Amino acid sequence: MNTLPQRAGRRHLARHPWLLALALLGITLGVAVVTAIDLASESARRAFTLGAETLTGRASHHVVAGPGGVDERLYASLRLAGHHGLVPLLEGYLQLPGRTLQLLGVDPLVEGPVGRPGGSGDGLLPLLTVPGALLLGRATGAALGLTPGADFTGIAGGRERRLQLAGWLEPTDPVQARALDGLAVADIATAQELLGRHGRLSRIDVILPAAERADGLARLEAALPPGVRLETAGRDAVFMTEVTAAFTLNLTALSLLALLVGAFLVYNTMTFAVLQRLPQFAILRTLGVTRGELFRLVSTEALLIGAVGTVAGLLLGLLLGNGLVGLVARTFDDLYFTLTVSGLFLTPWSLAKGGLLGLGATWLAALAPALAASRITPGTLQRRSALEATVRRLAWIAAAAGGVLLLVALLLPAVTSGLVSGFAALFALLLGAALLAPVAVRGLAWLLRRLPMVQAGVVPRLAVTGLVASLSRTGVATAALTVAVAAAIGIGLMIDSFRLTVDRWLGQRLQADVYVSAPGALDGTLSNPLPEALPGRLAALEGVRATSSYLGATVASPTGPARLAVVDIARAGRAGHVLLEGDPDVVWAAFDAGAVLLSEPFAHLRGLAVGDRLQLETPTGSRMFPVAGIYADFVGGSGRVLMARTTWRQHWRDPAVSSVGLYAETGVDVEALVTAARAVTDPGVPVTIRSNRALREASLQVFDRTFRITGVLRLLALGVAFAGIFGACLMLQEERAREFGMLRALGLLPGQLRGLVTLQTLLLGLAAGLLALPLGVALAELLTTVINRRAFGWTLALDVTAGPLLGGLLLALGAALVAGLLAGRRAGMRPAAALRGE
Amino acid sequence: MNGDSAAPLVCLSGLCRHYREGEVTRTVFAGLDLELARGECVVLFGRSGSGKTTLLNLVSGIDRPDAGRVDIDGTDLTGLDEEGRTLFRRGRIGFVHQFFNLLPTLTVFENLMLPLELNGRADAAGRQRASGLLAEVGLADRRDSFPDRLSGGEQQRVAVARALVHDPLLLLADEPTGNLDAETGARVLALLQRLALASGHTLLIATHSREATTIADRVLVFNDGCLREEGAPAAE
Repeated sequence: MNTLPQRAGRRHLARHPWLLALALLGITLGVAVVTAIDLASESARRAFTLGAETLTGRASHHVVAGPGGVDERLYASLRLAGHHGLVPLLEGYLQLPGRTLQLLGVDPLVEGPVGRPGGSGDGLLPLLTVPGALLLGRATGAALGLTPGADFTGIAGGRERRLQLAGWLEPTDPVQARALDGLAVADIATAQELLGRHGRLSRIDVILPAAERADGLARLEAALPPGVRLETAGRDAVFMTEVTAAFTLNLTALSLLALLVGAFLVYNTMTFAVLQRLPQFAILRTLGVTRGELFRLVSTEALLIGAVGTVAGLLLGLLLGNGLVGLVARTFDDLYFTLTVSGLFLTPWSLAKGGLLGLGATWLAALAPALAASRITPGTLQRRSALEATVRRLAWIAAAAGGVLLLVALLLPAVTSGLVSGFAALFALLLGAALLAPVAVRGLAWLLRRLPMVQAGVVPRLAVTGLVASLSRTGVATAALTVAVAAAIGIGLMIDSFRLTVDRWLGQRLQADVYVSAPGALDGTLSNPLPEALPGRLAALEGVRATSSYLGATVASPTGPARLAVVDIARAGRAGHVLLEGDPDVVWAAFDAGAVLLSEPFAHLRGLAVGDRLQLETPTGSRMFPVAGIYADFVGGSGRVLMARTTWRQHWRDPAVSSVGLYAETGVDVEALVTAARAVTDPGVPVTIRSNRALREASLQVFDRTFRITGVLRLLALGVAFAGIFGACLMLQEERAREFGMLRALGLLPGQLRGLVTLQTLLLGLAAGLLALPLGVALAELLTTVINRRAFGWTLALDVTAGPLLGGLLLALGAALVAGLLAGRRAGMRPAAALRGE
Repeated sequence: MNGDSAAPLVCLSGLCRHYREGEVTRTVFAGLDLELARGECVVLFGRSGSGKTTLLNLVSGIDRPDAGRVDIDGTDLTGLDEEGRTLFRRGRIGFVHQFFNLLPTLTVFENLMLPLELNGRADAAGRQRASGLLAEVGLADRRDSFPDRLSGGEQQRVAVARALVHDPLLLLADEPTGNLDAETGARVLALLQRLALASGHTLLIATHSREATTIADRVLVFNDGCLREEGAPAAE
C-alpha cells in the first residue's frame, strides 16, 4: 500500500491539512453520534431486559391481580393448601437524591429472583428486624457513599422514609451484578410499610420443576379466586420492548442523519481532492495508469481516511455514549417506565455497526469522486475549461435526478404507511435537494449578475462569475452545506412544533384553576391515592365552582399492560379533551355509559379504532369496553385509556383518587384558592398543590427533559454543519490560490482581493442558507407529520417558527463569513508563490 | 511485438479525426498516412492548432481515430479497448510534454521511478537505471527535490529522463521546448538526441519551432490536415 501514486495522494492531502481535517471531522462526528446513540439505546434496552429477566428469575408464571395487586392472604392460603414453588414479591420505587431505585420486597427465607438475600451474610437479621432495612448492590452503595449499617433517607410511597443499609446483595455472576445495580431489596413487610401498601403483593412468582409444571399450574389456576389470574412470565417485558422500538428507531434515524451529513462532508472533501488533482490524474493516465487503477487509488485513499475517522469516531462515540446514556434513560423514564442504567453496555455489535457504517458511508461518499477520477482522460491536461462546461451540463442532469427524488419523497408517505418508508422519504428529500444545489447556484448567480451594484464593480462581478465558472467546486460545496444546515433547521423546527403543540394542548387540557395531587400522580405511572376525605373537603371550599378527579392505574389486557386515566371531569373540562374522531355529544354520552376513549398513541400502537372493543382484566374477569372516541394526548409514549370514574368503580370497586382539579368561580383569586386548599390538607400528608400555570410549566419542563436528547443531536448536527461550511469555503478559496495570485499580479489590491474572497464565500453561504430554508421546512414537515405519527401515533401540526430558520441562515452566513475572512487574509499574500503553484 | 527490424515501427494508415464544436464539425485530418522506421527521429512541424497534438494522442492511444489504423510494432491500437491501449502506452511509449507534467507531490527521483513501478520494474536494477539517467541529465544532486523547486529547464530534463527510464519503443515529445528559452531549449533537444537516439529509440517530436528540426532524420510539415515531407537537413 505504498506505491508512488498512493504516496503522491497522501502528500497531496498532507499539503492540504484543511481538506484532510474536514473529511476526518465529518466521518468522526458522524460515526461518534451513531455509535453513541446506539450504545446508549442498547444500554437502556439491556438494562431494562436484564432487570426484567433478573426480577422474573426462574419463574415460569406469575399470579397477578388488578392495579391494587394481590392480597397477601392469598399467598398464605395457597401455601396452606399445599401449593409449592410460590415466591411472593412487592415492587415499587425508592427515590434517593440523584437517582431512583427499584424497591423489591421479598421473603428472605424463600429462594427468589435474587436468591436468598442476606442469607449467607450478616444482613439477614437486621433485614427482618430493623425498620427501613434494605440491601443494595455494592456498586449502588458505593455510588451513594453508603456502607452497611449506615442510616439514610429516601422517598417511597410519596413520603420521606428513614432507611438503613443492612448489607450487600451478593450477585452470582458479573451479569447479575449489573442487574442488581439500581435495585434495593427489603423484607416484604418493610417494603409494604415503605410503599404504603399494607397487606398487598405485586405478584406471586411460580417456580415449578418442569415435570410438575403442567399439573401444578392447572391446580393453582383452579384455586385462584375471581380477579386473580395466572400469567406467563416476561410478557410485559416483551410488550415494553416492542413499545420502545419506535423510540429507539427514531433516535437511530436521527443519528443516521448526522452520519449522512458527515458523509456529505467526505463526499465534498474527496470531490475537491479529485478536482484539485485533475492534472495529476491526467499525467498518471498519460503514463499508463488505467481507469480501474485510478478508481482504486481514490477509493483506497477515501477508505484510509474513513478508517482513521471511524476509529476516532468510535472512541469519541464511547465518550459521547457515556454522556448520552443518562439522557436516553431519562427519556425512557418520561415516556415509558422507570429505568436505572448504571453505565454503558459495550457490545461488539454496536462498535462493529458504527465501524461498518463509517466505512460504508465513506466508501459510498467517495464512489462518485472515484468514478469521476477514473473517467479523467489524458486529454484533460489540455481541456480544463471543457471540464467545467461538462459540469455545467451535468448540473441539469443532476437537477432532473434531484427532481425525481423529491417526487419520490413527496409520494412515498402518501402511498406507504410504515416508519421505514417515512425515513426513506426523508433521505430521498435530502439527496434530491442536494442534487438541485448546483442549478440553484447558477440561478443565484444569474439573479445577482442582473443587480446594478454587481455590474458596476469589478470585485462583485468577479465574485459572482466565479461562482458559476467553478461550478464543479461551488456546486458540490453548496450541496454539502445545504444538507448540513437543513438537517439542523429541520430538527429545530420539529422540536419547536412539538413543544408548541404540547403547550397548546396543555392550555386546552388543563382547564381547572388549581390541581391537588398525590406525589407521583402526575405522569400516571404511580397512582398514590389522596387521603379519602380530601376530595370532599376540597370540593366544599368557598369559591370552588366545580371539581374533576383523576386516578392513574395500570391494568392488564391481552395486548399488554394498559395505562388507565380514570376521570370524573367537570363539564367545563371536557372541552380540554380534543376528540380526533366522532361527534362530541355522542362520544361523551357513550363515555358516561361505560365506553372508553383511547389516546391517539394507544390506538395507534394497538391498532384500535372507534367502534372496536378493548379487552381489560377486571377483578371479576375479562371485560370488553367499547371504544367511543380517540383523543389527542401527549402523556407517555405508550398511550392511555380514558375511563369514567363510574365505570371504574363499577368494575374495580376502587374509590381512590390521586388528583383533584378545582374550578374557581369567576373573580376568585387562584393564589387564595391554593392557600385555602393547603389549609384543608392534613399536615404531614405529602400533597402537591399547584396552580394551572405552575402545573403547565412543570409539564413543559418534563417535555423539555424528554427532548433533551433530540436537542443534543441537533447541536451535534449544527456543529457538523458549521465545520462543513467553514471547511468547504476555506477549501474553495485555497484551491484558487493560483488564480488569486494572478489577480494580484494584474494589480488587484490586497484589500480588494480580501473583499472578493469574503464576498464569494458569503455568496456560497447565502446560496446554501437559502436553499436550506425550504428544505429544512420540508424536512420538519416530514419529521413532524409523517415520522412522529408513524413512530408514536402523535398528530402534530408543523409550526414554522422564525428561530430555527433564522438560526440556519445565520449559521450558514456566519461560518461562511469567518471562513471568508480567514481565507481572505491568506489569499494573495504571496502572489509570486501562488503563481508558481506552491 | 514484431521483431522484424526492417518493418516500420509506426504505421498510420487512412487516419481521420473530426471534432464537433457546437453545430460545426471540424476535420483535423482525413486519410492521413505515415510510417516511422525504428530508431528514426521525425519532427512534425506546424503552426499551433494544426493537429500535431491530436496526431500524437492517436499514436499514443490516448485518443481514437474516427477511421483508419494505428499500428505500432505490429499492434493495431485501434483494435484495443481503453484498458488495452493504456497498458500498451504504459510499457511502450514515453511522453515529454510542453509543460513538463511532473507530479508535484513526488520528488524528482520518485517521478523517475513512477513508470518503472507501473511496469513492475521498481527493483534494484530499476533504481540503478533511474539514478544513472538522473546523473546523465545532470540532476543527480536534485533527486530528493520536489519539482516546484526546479527551474523550467531542469523540470524538462527530468521529464526527458522519465520518458526514457522504462526503455520505451517510441518516444513522443509535444512541444518539448515550447516553454523554455532558446538556450535551454537547445540543451533539451541535445539531451533528447543524446539519450534517445543514441540508444536507438524512435522519436516523434511535434513542434512549431524550427530549432527542433536540427536533430531530425525527417521533417514533416503539417498544414491543413496534410503531411508534406521536407528533406532532412544536414547533420550538424
